[in-house]
Amino acid sequence: MSLQKDPERHETKYLHQYANLTGRRVLEIGCGEGRLTWQYAKGTGSTIAVDLDHDSLRVAKVDRPYDLENKVHLAGADSLYLPFAKEKFDIAILAWSL
Amino acid sequence: MVHALEEIRRVLAPDGILIDMRPFAEHWRVEVVSSRGIKETGQVDDLPEQVSGDVASNEAMKEVESRGWFQREQEEFFPLFYSWDTPSEMEKFVDEDWADFIGLSEENRKSTRAVWAVGEADSRVRIRVKILIARWHKADW
Repeated sequence: MSLQKDPERHETKYLHQYANLTGRRVLEIGCGEGRLTWQYAKGTGSTIAVDLDHDSLRVAKVDRPYDLENKVHLAGADSLYLPFAKEKFDIAILAWSL
Repeated sequence: MVHALEEIRRVLAPDGILIDMRPFAEHWRVEVVSSRGIKETGQVDDLPEQVSGDVASNEAMKEVESRGWFQREQEEFFPLFYSWDTPSEMEKFVDEDWADFIGLSEENRKSTRAVWAVGEADSRVRIRVKILIARWHKADW
């Protein structure tokens, strides 16, 4: 399959225009296989990326870049019941998931 | 959706930011692109599930805004491309992965194949997806 998703990386460009992610605690809801996550997470303080689809999360865990292993944490979670303490994050990203 | 947004609000720190980024149905353009230029070959059909999903999402955001949970600070649309080497690969992807959301008419398929077939060697096909991005500020209440 020759599919290229957002080869110009417009999503990342706009995301950075809309939020200063540097050093921030980020929650991404609907991370899928991590396509967007790997593009922005390096500069964050920490990123927790969640998705309901365990197959996608499995792919994301395999594909997670080595230098993000301690920065990006992947979890299966439903946005209706986020398993986190209150006020834990500075920024939440709804990635194609509302 | 409103309950999910309430959950997000709960886990956001004071002055936290919510970024809502999602595709927005609007007859996305199908294009053949090469080093010589871009040629539009048609538009996708928006299916009811995608359209109703957009409406529901917008209504949920309006609801949380009216409840004073979030304040909208900035919003715009931008294009995002899904691109394939050949029309048949595009058709397969749309039919299998996006079948609930968009459709490709037979006329559109034929037009895209025809333009691609006589195009440059580096011709690819792509769909111009319209993306909404909005920044919401967690409000005190």
